[in-house]
Amino acid sequence: MSSETDDVPVADTEYQHDEDGGPDPEKHHGHGRGGMGEEVKRKEDKRFITGRGNYVDDIKKPGMLHCEIVRSPHAHARIENIDTSRAMDVDGVVAVLTAEDLAAHELATMPTLMDDTQDVLVNDKVKFQSQEVAAVIATDRYIAKDGAEKVDVDYEVLDPVVTAEEALEADAPLIRDELEDQEDNHIFDWDVGDKEATDRVFEEADVTVEEQMEYQRLHPAPIETCGCVADWDPGKDKITVHLTSQAPHAHRTLFSQVSGIPEHKVRIVSPDIGGGFGNKVPIYPGYVVAAAASVVLEQPVKWMEERSENIQTTGFARDYDMTGELAATEDGIIKGVRTDVLANHGAYNAVAQPSKFPAGFFNIFTGSYDIEAAYGSLTAAFTNTAPGGVAYRCSFRVTEAVYLIERMVKVLAQELDMDPAEIRRRNFIQPEQFPYESPTGWNYDSGDYEKALDLALDMADYDHYREEQQRRIEEDADKLIGIGISSFTEVVGAGPGKSCDIAGIEMFDSADIRVNPTGNAVLRVGVQTQGQGHETTFAQIVAEELGMDVENISVEHGDTDTDPYGLGTYGSRSTPVAGAATAVAARKVRDKAKTIAANELEAAEEDIEWDRESGHFHVAGAPDRSITITEIAASAYMHHPSSEEPGLEAVNYYDPPEMTYPFGSYIVVVEIDRETGEVDFEKFVAVDDCGNRINPMVIEGQIHGGLAQGIGTAMMEHVTYDENGNCTGGDFMNYLLPTANEIPNFETGYTVTPSPHHPIGAKGVGESPTVGSPPAIVNAVVDAMAHAGTTHVEMR
Amino acid sequence: MKAANFEHHEPTSVSKAVSLLESLDEPTILSGGQSLVPMLRFRLARPDTVVDINGIDELDYLHEEDGYLRIGALARHADVADSEVIEARYGSFADTAPLVADPQIRNRGTIVGSIAQADPKGDWGSVLIAHDGEVVARGPDGERTVPVDELFLLPYDTSLDEDELITEARVPVPVEREGSAYHKLKRKTGDYAMAGVAARLIFDDDGRIEDAGIGMTAVDITNARASDAEERLEGERPDPELFAEAGELAAEQSNPESDEHGDASYKERMVEVLAQRALGDAAERAGVIERRAAP
Ligand SMILES: Cc1cc2nc3c(=O)[nH]c(=O)nc-3n(C[C@H](O)[C@H](O)[C@H](O)COP(=O)(O)OP(=O)(O)OC[C@H]3O[C@@H](n4cnc5c(N)ncnc54)[C@H](O)[C@@H]3O)c2cc1C
Repeated sequence: MSSETDDVPVADTEYQHDEDGGPDPEKHHGHGRGGMGEEVKRKEDKRFITGRGNYVDDIKKPGMLHCEIVRSPHAHARIENIDTSRAMDVDGVVAVLTAEDLAAHELATMPTLMDDTQDVLVNDKVKFQSQEVAAVIATDRYIAKDGAEKVDVDYEVLDPVVTAEEALEADAPLIRDELEDQEDNHIFDWDVGDKEATDRVFEEADVTVEEQMEYQRLHPAPIETCGCVADWDPGKDKITVHLTSQAPHAHRTLFSQVSGIPEHKVRIVSPDIGGGFGNKVPIYPGYVVAAAASVVLEQPVKWMEERSENIQTTGFARDYDMTGELAATEDGIIKGVRTDVLANHGAYNAVAQPSKFPAGFFNIFTGSYDIEAAYGSLTAAFTNTAPGGVAYRCSFRVTEAVYLIERMVKVLAQELDMDPAEIRRRNFIQPEQFPYESPTGWNYDSGDYEKALDLALDMADYDHYREEQQRRIEEDADKLIGIGISSFTEVVGAGPGKSCDIAGIEMFDSADIRVNPTGNAVLRVGVQTQGQGHETTFAQIVAEELGMDVENISVEHGDTDTDPYGLGTYGSRSTPVAGAATAVAARKVRDKAKTIAANELEAAEEDIEWDRESGHFHVAGAPDRSITITEIAASAYMHHPSSEEPGLEAVNYYDPPEMTYPFGSYIVVVEIDRETGEVDFEKFVAVDDCGNRINPMVIEGQIHGGLAQGIGTAMMEHVTYDENGNCTGGDFMNYLLPTANEIPNFETGYTVTPSPHHPIGAKGVGESPTVGSPPAIVNAVVDAMAHAGTTHVEMR
Repeated sequence: MKAANFEHHEPTSVSKAVSLLESLDEPTILSGGQSLVPMLRFRLARPDTVVDINGIDELDYLHEEDGYLRIGALARHADVADSEVIEARYGSFADTAPLVADPQIRNRGTIVGSIAQADPKGDWGSVLIAHDGEVVARGPDGERTVPVDELFLLPYDTSLDEDELITEARVPVPVEREGSAYHKLKRKTGDYAMAGVAARLIFDDDGRIEDAGIGMTAVDITNARASDAEERLEGERPDPELFAEAGELAAEQSNPESDEHGDASYKERMVEVLAQRALGDAAERAGVIERRAAP
């Protein structure tokens, strides 16, 4: 098979769909075969809607045992003794594991994604409430829980440290006393940008503004919690783990490294996944315990979290305490931005980010604006809270960055008494400036920010609401109106591999297309859908590129024994990376198909043309002499040209040359009850630009879901702790998620600014709404009260 | 849900249920399960025996009879929300039903179970207080009625005995010139109240308040009566200043605690606001004041 993987793919101009940009969801593109731009119904929905999904907890194996984890009630405590005898006496309890047992198999600790070392089961000292202390393996899950209640643990309770601020105080108790050279709770300092230049801009500025804001700790809270079924086969010396995994291959490598089982003897299967949102990127102790137990007991072992275990112990998101500053001229030209962040990383440094980015992509905090100077600094601290820092429906801290800059622009607008739409317009990076290099080193691919904003203003009836707002203030009405804008820019689609890696593995992705003799095809990808609709949209890419009917393409993913290696789905990277790999692989198939077509049509290969509209190959100048992909597929297996290998397939491993930069403008109008402070959404407009659109309906679905999560973020979600480190926001009675009742009617629109470097001109989109909407909501709430002098209101 | 083991009994009549309750050691009654099941799930409740009353058809009713609105132990929140009797004459009940929890919970959870649960954040206790309601209980010694003011002792604790089954909750059928309302402040659907106020007003033919009932949710250790406010109202003609004063008195009598969703002073202020709004609606529904202008 020829290798073209090193070639940087060039955007195929045929995909530069007309930039009509209107908010018309009825608009169809495409050729009627379910290719690019068509609203193909999701292939995966049949099984989900009819209750035939197959999730990890649906996996049942003969002789399967169940694992329940004993968790610490304390946030900070030394374990003095663990007595497992009463638990072992429970009928049906097969084994009770402690750190000591794991140590005997060299499994006492595991690496985090940031190269820290986390106890699988606590050895010596508990560092956060609900940390894993022991594991009970039993014949059913009820008995396992009965047994867990009977594991007697003596704790010496220690003073906990809950906030990052406390953690960095000189006399704070030392959390990580097991680490050599660790004398305090400080993890790292990080900074970016030109401090001197930025300071100078601030000194010389007409106006400066500053605001303190918290991005509270959130939990991705996927509807399916984390879990696995580990099944060691002593006959093959091979372990199969059905895992709630967003990144099956990366997890296979990590599993192999942690367990010492060679990688070809580890099979990870990620079946249907009930939402991930970044929560299913890390490895968790429960997985390791279940796998160890299966190896030792030679029986399958299932571990499935309860809801509160999921919220209290697995990867949280955000928890950034931020100061933002802007320097500007009197007419609102932003000259500089400065930010300082205090980050709570919990008990271990377990953030899930490319390893060279300890603060993720937070350094995109200059946003959609052309700002002369920028400087950011950050300090991260250990606390006695659960570890995490996952990219919850965002590309590695972009959410925090967007919140910072979009809030600050509003603060500045208020200070200058300027319209927040106008101030944005004056500072936007202009279309002709792309590719644009930002002062913190990003290379934006394409954008037209003003166009998206103008469309959103129009859809939102902006001027009307501004007048209405004024009227209500003047009439002292019971309900105030507030209008919030967010004109965000995302950075998604990690790699390139040279700068982005997970635990050392470059962040490429892959696609493998095999066309069958009867003309249909199977596409295998290295990414893993958790609701994004890959089985549909990736099939559409193949349909487009090969002139096939989308019905004839199935997409497989999530099985490391059969799928090509990939880094998984998070950070909106699937379409930018695996989608690109799919297009490139499809084009390779098309190239070979062309050779076969020439052979069949008895023409020279140079004379064969492919017609995107009909999907047929024909002889140049003689459209009647044509052949379909179905006929070519048959030829590939039944009478292939002697110059070629038989078969029709191709693989591509795609290392993106750059990331993609989707953007949009959201406008939120709220009504606030003056007496109670209750907030009602009066209007919610979201204009997104994700480049060329594969399936408008899937995009719309992604936007709706993400906006709902943005509302949860801004209005109610918060993992809270009390001063003793008890997680008081650790279940759905206390960690509030919005329901359909809290979600207003969304009005969505779009513009199309293709990515110049992506083979089909597409950008990621799944996370834009979660990233873009919180500041729009907060800006609206602040805006409603701005006449009373309010400049900031915290979320939640 | 991984509850601890328990024995499950399913009597089909009240008398069978009562004798089971008498004979079993520390039995726990299960009605809608919307409070009990979460506690079983967290193993905060670990009953050895559960007496499930869902098969007792004679407890499934909601109707007016002999001067009372009678709510059988198996009437669900959703039944109240769907009832025409309620919609026509019981403003506070009609206001409350769609605000309790979420639709799924309302399909299972019962009004009586909610009252038996004695959660200070439960909504129905306040409604019962505003209406001077009572519950009917059956135990080994027969039947008795307990007025709502003697029912709630502490959070999750009532004056009933363990072997007593509440068969019914009831409130007097409204008289002429009576109106009631419930206002609740919550973070989201499916969440308990941050604060809630139920109000019921009866007017004499002169247009003065003859009887006032005000119950408060989530601002004390039990559902609580705003007696000072009630007293202030009685004998007076309704007007916004009076209701504002009553609201202040209710707020003074409340004892909210600060939590993640709001601090105590905010909640006190909300009692004041919600009481004014509930009283305004009640007076309007009694037909003694004009419909107020929309905001
Ligand atoms: C997520 C969630 C949100 C909620 N939100 C609200 C809300 O906003 N407002 C609100 O008021 N409630 C709320 N609830 C509680 C809900 O209203 C329950 O329905 C109610 O508290 C209990 O009624 P039940 O029929 O489900 O009782 P169960 O859960 O079956 O029983 C509750 C308790 O009462 C006892 N009991 C039940 N029936 C009887 C009886 N006939 N005689 C004697 N004892 C009895 C049981 O033994 C148990 O101790 C919420 C519940 C949940 C889970």
